[in-house]
Amino acid sequence: MRALVKRFAPVRAVLASAVLAAAMTVAPAAFAEGAAESQAKSWGLLGEEMTRFSGKVVDILCELTGDCADNCGNGSRHLGLLREDGRLVPVYKNNQTSFNGAVADLLPLCGQTIEVDGLLVGEDVPAKFLQVQLIKPEGASEFYKANGWTEAWKRRFPEQAEGKGPWFRRDPRILEQIKEKGYLGLGPEADRPVIAEWY
Amino acid sequence: MTVRQRLAGLSERMQNGVRQTALPAVLLGSFLAGPAMAATGERTQITGEVMDTWCYFSGVMGGQEAVVGSSHHTCAMWCAAGGIPVGVLADDGTVYMVLKLEGKTTADGDPALLSIQSDRITADGFVYERDGFKYLVVEKVVSNEGITNLNHNDFGFIPPFAVPEGDR
Repeated sequence: MRALVKRFAPVRAVLASAVLAAAMTVAPAAFAEGAAESQAKSWGLLGEEMTRFSGKVVDILCELTGDCADNCGNGSRHLGLLREDGRLVPVYKNNQTSFNGAVADLLPLCGQTIEVDGLLVGEDVPAKFLQVQLIKPEGASEFYKANGWTEAWKRRFPEQAEGKGPWFRRDPRILEQIKEKGYLGLGPEADRPVIAEWY
Repeated sequence: MTVRQRLAGLSERMQNGVRQTALPAVLLGSFLAGPAMAATGERTQITGEVMDTWCYFSGVMGGQEAVVGSSHHTCAMWCAAGGIPVGVLADDGTVYMVLKLEGKTTADGDPALLSIQSDRITADGFVYERDGFKYLVVEKVVSNEGITNLNHNDFGFIPPFAVPEGDR
């Protein structure tokens, strides 16, 4: 056995060198800029990379097309971060766990250069989007959590604001669609046999 | 004065004139126009499924084949209502982030946007590419086949809590 191990020693050395070389080549790309300073928490997402960087909050539609609106569209438009080098990073998600986008958190900072901390997300994609967890406005000394979605929703739907259960069980837009099309979107009658089978 | 000198003088006057006219125009333009990077999109028609980009790319609800279609319809509405970008998953696998749908921007969960979640549509509009992302401004939904990916037969409801206990 020892002889066998010894016989394959050169192969092991070559393999070890190759792995090391590959690791040295790949390692810098595996960590996003600002990863060392980032305090983002892992969400176990595909291809997630911790990141911290600065960028100007912009209305993506305006940035791409010149179709602009006051105050980044007042919540109706998707927002992104325009980095100093000209890269545009779309922000898909905030720090909350209930299907919440990031517009409510970024809108008050429209046009400002801010620092963000979070996760770049995506695997086998040309570019990753940002899930923002922490925000630090220009001139501020501390980061705060990007948890502003629920309060914005309550302001928009005050009659549902104090109800029981998560927002997505009470949102009138969603309830109307489910009433009309069911949970599968195929009509309420299509749900019944599937519910019977799966629950 | 030679012809060359006359031409040189003309050129100088023209340049000064253009400068005097152009400078205010540029300054005015910089206030009125959009960002410097604004570009012309490519007019095209995209056929594919209206879908939830967050669950699809993050893997938070499972594999990509399970977070589209009928099985994921309710969750796709939740994400659209929550202001997460809606995409169109084209037949070649490309995902286009929808910025505008028939004149309305898409971050505020408009009911019109919710009503086409999971549907297979053909959208006529403009595609913009920037830094690895493809963005779509839909001028018109030219056809809507409804939900054609009936993957609930394989996956049931994704996530399982899509249907509240009271409705099971």
